[in-house]
Amino acid sequence: MLLFRSEEWIDKWCQRNNLERGEVLTIQKVWEFSRLWYHNRLSLEYHGRNIEQVVEIFRQAGLMSKFWYV
Amino acid sequence: MAKESLLWQVRHFVYAHFAENTRPPSVDEAAAHFDISMEEAREYYKELHKSHAIFLEADKDINNLAIRMAWPFSAVPTDFKVHANGKTYFANCAWDMLGVPAALHSDAVIEAVCTESNETVQLVVKNGQIMESRSKAKRTIHQLLVHFPLPFSRWYDDLVFT
Repeated sequence: MLLFRSEEWIDKWCQRNNLERGEVLTIQKVWEFSRLWYHNRLSLEYHGRNIEQVVEIFRQAGLMSKFWYV
Repeated sequence: MAKESLLWQVRHFVYAHFAENTRPPSVDEAAAHFDISMEEAREYYKELHKSHAIFLEADKDINNLAIRMAWPFSAVPTDFKVHANGKTYFANCAWDMLGVPAALHSDAVIEAVCTESNETVQLVVKNGQIMESRSKAKRTIHQLLVHFPLPFSRWYDDLVFT
């Protein structure tokens, strides 16, 4: 996942690398997503996630498009 | 101690070591910490790699397993540098650079390079809020974007690319 200053730079990067455009999120949205995804990563109790837990995080983060299908 | 229980203790040790030292523990450091053989430690690392808890980068010597990623931390330098708790970490990607303060529950200053434009940006995470600390072009943080090139179902196809 790479950081870009604008949509134009993303298009240029995709074109240059002959890749289809993926999903684009604002940095604010990614911060909210990061907190949901990583908040317990250093805990001894964290043993990975099952599909239902991943789906729930995506739901809480508002990531509901086909791109995020588990 | 049951093997399954120790497996997750090893995972926790890897993360605690990364957080404390900004680098992952070697196999021999893990073996010494848990008072187990190098071979046992190596097997735990491989098991954690298989379950996507860490990502190993094996060099030509199979005995020299090295942790490349323990998300959000990177063992190799990247364009995503995170200063937190008086230490400097590298994150694997633009998502993970925010994952570091999220995982550490800390404030942070992040230095990152924008792809294609090569612009360096500095972000500040403070009291749970994120902001851009400086911008020559007077742009706002809302214009910074993260591109996820692959759908979630393909993230593990090629983790370095992802």
